[in-house]
Amino acid sequence: MLGTALTAAHAQGNYEIQVYGVDTVAPRNTMLELHSNFTADGQPRTISGVAPTNHAEHETIEITQGINSWSEVGFYIFTLVQGGQGVQWVGDHIRPRVRVPEKWRWPVGVSLSTEVGYQRTIASPDTWTWELRPILDKQTGRWYFAVNPALERTWHGPDVNQGLGFAPAAKISYDFSKKITAGLEYYADYGSITNVASLHNQQQQLFPAIDLNVSPDWEINFGVGIGPTAATDHWLVKVILGRRFNWSKKHQ
Amino acid sequence: MRRASLAAAGLLAPASSLLAAGPLAAADYRIEIAEIDWEIAPKKKIRTTAYDGQIPGRLLRLAEGKPVTIEIVNRTDHAEIVHWHGQWILVEADGSMEEGSPMIPAGASAQVTFTPRPSGLHWYHTHAMGSRGFKHGLYTGQFGMMLVDPAANPARYDQEYFLALHDWEPYSSPSDDGSLMVHYVSSTINGRQLGHDEPIQVREGQQVLFHILNASATEPHWLTLPGHKFQVLALDGRPVATQASVETLRLGPAERLTALIAMTTPGVWILGEPRPSFRNAGMGIVLEYAGRATKPQPQQQANLAWDYRAFGDPVPAIYKPDVIIPLAFTSRFKGHGAPDQWMINGMSFPETDPIILHQGLRHRLLFQNHSSDDHPVHLHRHSFELTSICGSQLSGVHKDVVVEANTTVEADLLATNPGNTLFHCHQQDHMDAGFMALFRYA
Repeated sequence: MLGTALTAAHAQGNYEIQVYGVDTVAPRNTMLELHSNFTADGQPRTISGVAPTNHAEHETIEITQGINSWSEVGFYIFTLVQGGQGVQWVGDHIRPRVRVPEKWRWPVGVSLSTEVGYQRTIASPDTWTWELRPILDKQTGRWYFAVNPALERTWHGPDVNQGLGFAPAAKISYDFSKKITAGLEYYADYGSITNVASLHNQQQQLFPAIDLNVSPDWEINFGVGIGPTAATDHWLVKVILGRRFNWSKKHQ
Repeated sequence: MRRASLAAAGLLAPASSLLAAGPLAAADYRIEIAEIDWEIAPKKKIRTTAYDGQIPGRLLRLAEGKPVTIEIVNRTDHAEIVHWHGQWILVEADGSMEEGSPMIPAGASAQVTFTPRPSGLHWYHTHAMGSRGFKHGLYTGQFGMMLVDPAANPARYDQEYFLALHDWEPYSSPSDDGSLMVHYVSSTINGRQLGHDEPIQVREGQQVLFHILNASATEPHWLTLPGHKFQVLALDGRPVATQASVETLRLGPAERLTALIAMTTPGVWILGEPRPSFRNAGMGIVLEYAGRATKPQPQQQANLAWDYRAFGDPVPAIYKPDVIIPLAFTSRFKGHGAPDQWMINGMSFPETDPIILHQGLRHRLLFQNHSSDDHPVHLHRHSFELTSICGSQLSGVHKDVVVEANTTVEADLLATNPGNTLFHCHQQDHMDAGFMALFRYA
C-alpha cells in the first residue's frame, strides 16, 4: 500500500509502510495488524487544505481474511492523530490479492494486489485512488528479496488527469537468527510514468528495519525512515504489530 | 564429506560384483531401476525413477531363513543403491554406502545375496541422497514391499492387501516454526490417487489382512476406514504383544503395519487419510462391499492420537541395560530459506564420532528429541525394543520409533549383528542434512 504511504506531493501519507511479500493469509485465518507511524521531521505547513505531516501520528488498522490457499482480502481503517485534535478518521481502503499457488512450484514468488479506497481531503486532495501492485519475492538461505513495482491511479481529485503513477518499493533482509531478521526497505514515488518528476520532487525513503519472528501468530516490524529529497518526510518511525487468528478446527 | 561425495570416495561397486566372488549365480529376482512416466490419475503423469516400471515395485515374497539372490540393474545415469529395510543382514548386502555397502554405478548391474530374517512386512528402497530439486532418494518411486513369510501366519484371514503410501511433486516452503519444510502436491496409495485405482473388494463377514507401508520421503500419514476398526497384529513386521483395535492408524515415514479388519459394516468406504489436505491430494483407496456399488460415504473427522504403548505388554517387563547411550537430537537454523542442519549429540554426519556397541550386551538408547520436529528414527540391520516413552515404561514393541517433538523415548538394543550399522532419521530431508550416525562394534 505504498500508494497511500507516499502519494502525490503535499498529501498526507504514511498510513501503511510495508513492502509486501508474496505469502497470503491462510484460509480460515484472519490477520489483524496495527500500523503506527510517527513523522518526526516532515512537512510543517498546511498546503491546499492538507494537514501538515510534521509530528503527525498515523494509526492504521488492517484486517486481512484468507480466502483460500492463494487469495486474501484486506480492509484498512486510516486515522490521524495531530495537534491535540484527537483521533480523526481519514479513510478506508479494500485490497483483494491473489498469488501464484505454492503448488505450482515457481522459482520466485509472484502475487498481484489491487487496492481501492477513499481518503478525506485533510489527508490528500485526491480522494478516490486505485493501486495495482505486482509482488515478487524470493527467500534463499538467510537472504530475502522482495520487489513491489506498484502503479497508482487517481479516480477523483486534482491528479485525475495525471495518469498512472509509479511508486515502487523493495526490501532486502538477512536472517541473523530464527527470530531476528534485519534489512533495508525502500519506498519511492516517481510521479506519472509519462512525466517522471524531477529528483527534487520525487519521494524517496530508505528504512533500516527489523522483523521479529517470535511466533507464527505474531508479526512485528520496526523501522526508521530517512527521506533525503525535499518532497519526502525526512524522519519517520514505523511499527507494525500483527496478530494472526486461526479459526480452523484443531486436529482436523 | 557429505553423503553425495561417498560415491566419489571409492564406494562404488564394480559392475556385477556386489557379493559375488566367482561366476554369478542365477538370481531369484531381478530389479531394474529406470526412469518412467507413471500415471497417478488419468492424464496426470509423474516423471520419476522406479523399480521394474511400476509403483510400488514388485512385491517380494521371501521365505524366512532361505537365502535369496537378487540381481539389480541400474539403467539410470547416476549411481544407485538398494537398502533391504528391516532385515538383519550383513553390511555388504544391507545397501547403505555410509556403512560400506557399495553403490551400483550408472548403467551397471550387481547381485546381492542374503538370508531373509526376521519375518514380517519389510521393504526395499533406494538409500541415495535426496539432493536439491527432489530428483533422487525417496522423493522418487524407488520402493517396493517385501514380505518375509513366517513359519505360521499371525492370524486367520480371508484375503490380504498390500498398500504403499507415497507423496509426490515435492516443494519447499517455510513451516510455522520458521524453517524450510517439504510439502507435496499429490499423494497416492499403490501409485494411484483416490478414485483412480481398482477398489478393494470385500464381502460382509470377511477378515481382511492389510499390509501397509508409509513410503513417503518425509510425511507421516494417518489412515481411517469409517465404520471399521483396525486390529493391529504387527508393527514394522514384528508381532506386537497386545493386538489392540484402533480407529485410526498412524505411520511415520518408513513405518509398516499389519492389521486385520473385520468387514462388518456393508457399504462403500474410503480407506485413506482423514486429513482433508492429504485426502484431496489423493491419499485414499475405495473399499467396496460386494453388491454395494454406490458412492463412498463421506470421511469423518478423526482423532489423530497414536500411542505405541497400546500395543505393548499389559505389564511392562523391566530390563537392566549393560550400557546406556544418550542420543540427543538438535537442529541448527540456516535461514528461513534453507533446511535446518541436524545433529546427533551436537554433530552432523559425516563429521561424527562412531557410537561403540559391545557384542552381546544390552544397550539402552536414549532418544532425546530437543527439536520441534518429530523424527522417525531407524537403525539398520538390527531392531530394538521400546522400553519407555516420556518416562512411561513399555515392553513388547520391537520396532523403529517416531520420537515426537520435545520428548524422550528409550529403547533397548541387543548387539548381535557385528559390523557398521547406520542410525538415522528416515525423513529424507533430515538425513540429507546430517541426521545420521554410525554405530560400530568394539
